[in-house]
Amino acid sequence: MTRFEFRILFGVLFLGMALSCSQKTSEEIERWDPSAIVEAEWPEKSMAQIDFAGIPFKNLSDYGFFKGEVTALAPSDRVLPYAPASSLFTDYAFKSRFIWMPEGEAATINSDEEGTLNFPDQTILIKNFYYPLDFAQPEGPKRIIETRLMVKQNGIWEAYPYIWNDEQSDAAYKVVGAEKPVHWKDAAGETQVINYLVPNKNQCKSCHNANEVMVPIGVKAKHLNHTIDFSEGASNQLEKWASEGMLNGFDHPEAYPKMVDYLDSKGPLELRAKAYLDINCAHCHRAEGPASTSGLFLTYEEKDPLKLGVFKTPVAAGFGAGSFKYAILPGKADESILTYRMETNIVGAAMPEIGRVTTHQEGLALIKDWINSLE
Amino acid sequence: MKTRNLLQISLLIFPLVYLFFSCSSSTTEMTFDSSKLRKASQEEVEKVVEAFILAEDGDVIEVPEGFYSFKTQLILDNKSNIQIKGQGMDKTVLSFRELKTGGEGVKLVGNEILIQDLSIEDAPGDGVKSQHVDGMTFRRINVTWTNGDKSKNGTYAIYPVQCKNVLIDECIASHSKDAGIYVGQSENIIVKNSLAFGNVAGIEIENSDNAEVYGNTARDNAGGILVFNLPGLPKSDGKGTKIYDNDIITNNHVNFATPLGEDPNGNTVTMIPPGSGIVLLAAKDVEVYNNRIHKNKTVGIAIANYHVTGFPMDAPNWSPFTSNIYVHNNDFKRTWRFPDLTKEFGQLISVYNAHGKGKTQDIIYDGFFDQSLAENILSNPMSICIDEADMEKLNFTLFDLWEGEENIKASKDYNPFVCQTEVFTDVSHLTQK
Repeated sequence: MTRFEFRILFGVLFLGMALSCSQKTSEEIERWDPSAIVEAEWPEKSMAQIDFAGIPFKNLSDYGFFKGEVTALAPSDRVLPYAPASSLFTDYAFKSRFIWMPEGEAATINSDEEGTLNFPDQTILIKNFYYPLDFAQPEGPKRIIETRLMVKQNGIWEAYPYIWNDEQSDAAYKVVGAEKPVHWKDAAGETQVINYLVPNKNQCKSCHNANEVMVPIGVKAKHLNHTIDFSEGASNQLEKWASEGMLNGFDHPEAYPKMVDYLDSKGPLELRAKAYLDINCAHCHRAEGPASTSGLFLTYEEKDPLKLGVFKTPVAAGFGAGSFKYAILPGKADESILTYRMETNIVGAAMPEIGRVTTHQEGLALIKDWINSLE
Repeated sequence: MKTRNLLQISLLIFPLVYLFFSCSSSTTEMTFDSSKLRKASQEEVEKVVEAFILAEDGDVIEVPEGFYSFKTQLILDNKSNIQIKGQGMDKTVLSFRELKTGGEGVKLVGNEILIQDLSIEDAPGDGVKSQHVDGMTFRRINVTWTNGDKSKNGTYAIYPVQCKNVLIDECIASHSKDAGIYVGQSENIIVKNSLAFGNVAGIEIENSDNAEVYGNTARDNAGGILVFNLPGLPKSDGKGTKIYDNDIITNNHVNFATPLGEDPNGNTVTMIPPGSGIVLLAAKDVEVYNNRIHKNKTVGIAIANYHVTGFPMDAPNWSPFTSNIYVHNNDFKRTWRFPDLTKEFGQLISVYNAHGKGKTQDIIYDGFFDQSLAENILSNPMSICIDEADMEKLNFTLFDLWEGEENIKASKDYNPFVCQTEVFTDVSHLTQK
């Protein structure tokens, strides 16, 4: 080793020490205090009278999606809850999702293998991101961080992010994103603290993107073809939409694709793993998505082992490849780039590129089990 | 090819030489010091973010002089005829050191986009990425990383991918952990009058059609200029690249794509031996001429097939072979420095070349060829043409690696490859920009 290399080594050690020290200080995040909550009611608004030309409105309360006590997020008439069978990991945030369509209008299901939907103009998708203070009581006090809207007008979807105030009385439209310190007590009773990152408006399209056109992700037949609880009782979501007049030409649930819930431990391992990859990765990692450059396609429908990453070398992964050769090395989860990038939180190596600053341990365990089961 | 035996042999033969000569250099040279610039206020920073988000077709986004530190990505979403202009590389600096999420600092999507006269620093992933752009111009932008520890640097500095009609002019790209200027899966490309230094690879054209790379300086990278075709990509096999009038000098930088002492990973660039001038890998239709290829300690021009990577080669619409190559009228100067022994490919060249152990090579050809076309390589089945003056004075090695590491053969005989061939490119429509 030359003196020069020695100096580099020392530099690395020193830098490492300096960084580990500075990381400690960044953990001392100022916490939000639940006593800041101000009890408030949603103003009474009729969704039927929404002025679409005025969208995006300044505040979330300008739309009329919800009624009653603000933080309950109780939907107004004809604002219907929905939930995908498997859901995207966003730093353990809870999500509540709703859809609204103008009265008399309906969606149709396309015949492609995912069962994508054609929505009428003026369809609105509403997605709230929140953290219960105690995950053991998911219905208890919570902090709502952001609400993302997707609105279809003149055939084009557009995304509008709203960030909630500390008083939890309303959310305001903000395009540049934000950083919010968040804490909660997890299922094991441990307090977790993170810096939650609200994406900027154009980052929405980092995921909601098919051939550079903005598209919804979770509202496809394959994600919706299962039963959830509605206020009137449990029902298959597609059937419910059809009975509400929101879905035209609906046949019966078996006629449409259906994805499993990766959390359902009784399901087949491969399908659970592919469901996880689909909802967490395949919005980019598909032929029409921004990550098509990689040739790694992670949709539920993909059958080609090479495209799924088996013995596939990276292209532009940079240090995201870690010390590994293949996206998936069958039987060796700990030597696969896929799990390395799911596990690391280093910006530039972490996958997905946006939407998380923590590791999804349960999702990682599932993918590791699956890779270890491959031969 | 397996490393172990080769490594053992080479380490046994050259323990002392290795210690004294093979250590590659490293550089953290900066073009200017951005810390002296005025720091833009939070409002000014948010104004730039908003200008990108709210941009309409035809907008000119002017970024005044100053140092702008962003916590979020700058993304231009599918807009046309957009100009993004700073006040000069050393006047307007967009820093992404504080970025906490996102794959690149600046992302550009749309048509007819120009970015010029600014610097981009310290993006965690890629510096500036443009995707699905028809008409992408990068002019006088400087993209770099300022970390003293280069292992923390990002992947690509200037990164157009899946684009058409790309012009990269008078740019500087430095210290990236992969390629400084990387054009991938694109067509109709000019990279000219630019400087790439301190990167693992200086300039790389990958899975792309119809590219001309001229008037550039690629110096002090591990590899100067690369033309690759990788398997399994949506744009499978690229062809048609001309590399001319470039200075490709002292590309002897340590390959820092993986940590010191760690084996290459699945990224092909991690295999590039320090001291490589030009590397062609599974490349199709490439002409290399009028370049000054000086003092690259391992090899001036390496003509290689994908076989040398040892990776699976089964992919649709793609060939692992390099074919139709025309190398002529280049100026070679070797160096006394000892060629690379840190990479498998470097060991092959250093130890097994036909001119003597430890001799820098001007041109090597790994000798793999499509055996369905010919029985042996002497009929030049892949049309590899080398037409250099004073050929007998150049260190040329033809390898035969078919029998693996147990029986590596090397020959000085360049005669089968003295020929001329034609490579077609046409990027004249881009020169008016």
